[in-house]
Amino acid sequence: MKENHEVANNRGLLMSVLTDIHFWVPVVVLIGGLLLLRSIH
Amino acid sequence: MEAFPNSAMQTADQQASRARKLQALGILSGFTAGAWLGAAEAPTKLVSVGISPVIISLIMVIGVFLARWSLPALILGTSSIHADVRRAPHLIIWAVLAGCLWAVANTLTIFAIRDVGLSIAFPLWNSNSLLGILWGFIFFNELRQAGWRRWAGVLGGALVMCVGAAILAIASSEQGPASHSMRGVWAALGAGILWGTMYIPYRKAYLTGMNPLSFVTFFTFGELGMMGALASSYTGIGPLWHQLAGARDVLFWLMLGGFIWVIGDLFQQYAAKYVGISRGIPLSNSNQLWGLLWGVLVFGELHGRSGSQYAQVIGGSLLMMLGVGAIAFSSASGKEQTKWKQAAQRESERYGIASEYVAARMEGRQASDERKPVRRPLDWLLVAFATEVFVFFGAMARVPRMSLNWGVAAILSVASLVLLVVCGVALWRTTRFQ
Repeated sequence: MKENHEVANNRGLLMSVLTDIHFWVPVVVLIGGLLLLRSIH
Repeated sequence: MEAFPNSAMQTADQQASRARKLQALGILSGFTAGAWLGAAEAPTKLVSVGISPVIISLIMVIGVFLARWSLPALILGTSSIHADVRRAPHLIIWAVLAGCLWAVANTLTIFAIRDVGLSIAFPLWNSNSLLGILWGFIFFNELRQAGWRRWAGVLGGALVMCVGAAILAIASSEQGPASHSMRGVWAALGAGILWGTMYIPYRKAYLTGMNPLSFVTFFTFGELGMMGALASSYTGIGPLWHQLAGARDVLFWLMLGGFIWVIGDLFQQYAAKYVGISRGIPLSNSNQLWGLLWGVLVFGELHGRSGSQYAQVIGGSLLMMLGVGAIAFSSASGKEQTKWKQAAQRESERYGIASEYVAARMEGRQASDERKPVRRPLDWLLVAFATEVFVFFGAMARVPRMSLNWGVAAILSVASLVLLVVCGVALWRTTRFQ
């Protein structure tokens, strides 16, 4: 029972992060940075 | 949306006085960060050329990793980090993400310096402070209802600092025009965007109540993981190991540079926490001024240069100081701080973190249900391990034959130490490093 509750909590937490626009801005910038690095290396 | 109430025990006057104290503390932290981040360049100058820039960056990050675990363990103990993570586990993701951003940005700066030289690269990536102001305004209610004077102070100060940084970089540059100029410009701009965006996770963490000492311990996993991946993919595991082994007599200096850098970064984190990213980033960008002091006065980098170059250095330094002063005198008003609290409440609701905890941490206090941090044997083990590693590489290190001005080095070291002690004591007395 306790384990199920923890899994649900973790899932909820992950959803909170993934639906947060603040999260995607750094992610997009990081991907852009890696692509830039790849293109200039 | 109404901001969460502050501690019921406090009167409005006490709250205002506490807020002013925290603002002053944040500004002092920004100044101290500048001094230590600038001093971090000194040990790396002892390393002669011949080592790949990516390897230099990787070794520094190893020193950073050791410092990021041993210093928090020494100051508050890992029990405090554990407690923070239990309260706000989502921040681990943010910290690792910020570490990855840092590592990619740092690698881009190496390419930028190589392709266009420091004089063009540094001002370009220093524009990260302008991006920090933008993100702070859009996402975290910074500079909202701040009034035109504060806007002028912060934005004008950051712009003046960028101009000062450009003049300093041109004056101190020794490199001629490069063959891949556009590639270098893109690399420098990319680094600025990555570093400016890295402050989103910083601010996110501190609005949600996380202690800077806890945040950096997870930040460093992203930093080391990404840097390790980049270094091994660029050079391959075997050659990477060979290069590390070949550089064993300078590993200590590079790791020491990383260690000093972490001290500066810790103060930068407290600046971001107490004055926000729009003010904290430009203040800690004064590191260029300190780096120049070390370079010119200790390592004699401008020796034999023309009078006009010295004039450029003095002019650029004065502009940077002017910019820093303008930002330092533009601390957040009561109205703006209410907006910050609204942003903190939004975070607290989104991630299900107790309002009382978030409010207490914003005020640099412990929440009423928090335990006092205690040090455990694990903390002393971490400190002992990091010390052992430094002693081991220190014993292996070769002291370079260089002509240094030891007198000025001592003065700058004492000045940095004084700032460290003054700011450290102020942080301890006011917030107990919360």
